[in-house]
Amino acid sequence: MISSKTNVDRRRIMLLGLLVPPTLFLLVFFIVPLTIMVIYSWLEPGLYGGVVWNFYDLNYGRILGWADSRYEKFDPVYLAIFFKSVRLALTTVLICLFVCYPAAFWISKMSDTKKNLFLFLVTLPFFVSLIVRLFAWVLILRPTGFLNQALMGTGLISEPLQIIFTDTAVIIGMTYVFIPFMFLPLYASIEKLDMSLLESSSDLGATRLQTFRRVILPLTLPGIIGGSIIVFIPALGNFIVPSLLGGAKVLMIGNLIEQQFLSARNWPFGSALGMIVMAAILVLLVYYVKMMTREDRLARTPSIKEVQ
Amino acid sequence: MNALKSIKIAALALTALAATNAAQAQEKLSLYNWGDYINPEVLTRFTEETGIEVSLDTYGSNEEMLAKIQAGASGYDIVFPSVHMHDIMSQLDLLAKTDIGSSPGFDNIDPQFVRASTDPNAEYCLPYAWGNVGIVYNKNKVDELSGWADLFELAKSGEKIILLDDPRETIGIGHILNGTSVNSTDEAEVVAAANVIKDNLENVSAFSYDSIPLVQSGDVAAAHWYVGANIFVQQNPDILEYIIPEEGATMYQEDMCVLKNAPNQANAKKFMEFYLKPEIAALNVEQQMNGTPNIPAQALIPSEIADNPSIYPPADVLSKLQIFEDLGQDLKLYNREWTAIKTAQ
Repeated sequence: MISSKTNVDRRRIMLLGLLVPPTLFLLVFFIVPLTIMVIYSWLEPGLYGGVVWNFYDLNYGRILGWADSRYEKFDPVYLAIFFKSVRLALTTVLICLFVCYPAAFWISKMSDTKKNLFLFLVTLPFFVSLIVRLFAWVLILRPTGFLNQALMGTGLISEPLQIIFTDTAVIIGMTYVFIPFMFLPLYASIEKLDMSLLESSSDLGATRLQTFRRVILPLTLPGIIGGSIIVFIPALGNFIVPSLLGGAKVLMIGNLIEQQFLSARNWPFGSALGMIVMAAILVLLVYYVKMMTREDRLARTPSIKEVQ
Repeated sequence: MNALKSIKIAALALTALAATNAAQAQEKLSLYNWGDYINPEVLTRFTEETGIEVSLDTYGSNEEMLAKIQAGASGYDIVFPSVHMHDIMSQLDLLAKTDIGSSPGFDNIDPQFVRASTDPNAEYCLPYAWGNVGIVYNKNKVDELSGWADLFELAKSGEKIILLDDPRETIGIGHILNGTSVNSTDEAEVVAAANVIKDNLENVSAFSYDSIPLVQSGDVAAAHWYVGANIFVQQNPDILEYIIPEEGATMYQEDMCVLKNAPNQANAKKFMEFYLKPEIAALNVEQQMNGTPNIPAQALIPSEIADNPSIYPPADVLSKLQIFEDLGQDLKLYNREWTAIKTAQ
């Protein structure tokens, strides 16, 4: 009796010990900051930064349409900036995917020593500050930079390409920054891919395209979606790349938020913009989770369709 | 007996340790300044003279500094706000009274530089340095440039230009060209000033602070930049040139202020008094190539700086320089127009 009771107690304590640290971590680093942001987004901006503790709905009104006063006016431009950011982030995701997918296959086929070397090379950029690497891109992309000199030297172009300070430069920069984030989840799912499945697929008469569509793609889909989300979220909120490579002429939602917290001294409006971005990402994640649970169900219940 | 003795010794050692710790704590000063805005030599000299160890952190804008101080960044003793930010910080009760204005060396300071309306007798802050915001250009790309109108003409002709990524500085160019005040809060005037920038937007390559290397390499013909560009002009006199535009320009001034919650107030005051010395102010100008409000210091600085009209302009040019004031709520007009400029293309 007594020993079983202490056993239960011990288990409870162990469970508590296991659960408390992550709960505290989430509380301190996620729930509390998020709550501050939600509350701030409904408060009046202080004249010199900070907030005044009055309920204020015009922060959202400026974004979504009901604010109309000298200082707080609705402007569709904020939503336009948001959609432009979504477009740039999606383009980045697609390019990262096109670069990383074949590269991950290529590396997964190598010998173990080579594999480790290449994986190390993929993560190598993290050892150098992001700002330094982006300034290097300014040197590469500017009109008298390496890229234009190389292209003009080989006679491919006669006039330097105007890349720096355009959307293209921002996309190049973001693709460069986020490639490792796409590569690692993709590699993890491709590495797991059972090659015998591909052999059986072709033995059963599938063409290469069919094998890809019906076998490889579904099996690596979790990696594709995971990598895409991990790239999309930080790309959407990025403000360093557009301010350095876009010359601050390419305005993304991250720049707008940064501007509210610094030069505009409007913390509540910055919070409101942040909440809008977060809401959009939340919708995306819910969709992802739903899709993954459906995948799991499909995988568990053998369907006749697949056998055919 | 022995045990007691060793306890005594340990206790003594502990008190001694505590004492040295306290002494060390007294011998510190921490500055929070703009990036590259003080000659490191000044800090070395101060440490040599007083034995006080100086640490330096940097920020990129007044607002960044204010946001960090408001968010509770503590441990800093001295900050270097621009005049309008000095006023704001006074109103927010963030500054400590130092009575620097009644220090013996304060006669060295030209009284016209005691500008902050909240601190008319310099009871809080010491005028630190000033300068103007003009145009730096590449002489291989354009022969001569005399003002803002020329700058936009140059851009129209197909050359690239860069403006500062700062709402008030850049909309300020529009105000100067329209003949309105850079501190205007009249909505129509602000919109008109922003429209000047919008009309030329197609020809502006970027809004950036990091334009000097691009002007130097010729990737960009000219850029809106601070008087500190003279440092680069001095290094490359055949390529670069810095001017104060003929239509007028903005000027800035930073004051040296002690924070109310400064841990080393006494050392901070010592540093302010140290900086009142003409030879120290001159030492700073030598490397910074900007203006000092310290009158006797002006006689000590190298003649190529003192005689450079883009650093120490003649009276008629000086009268065309406008300084930013705090606009309160009306800053929102500028931010609204700034977002409009950035999304106009």
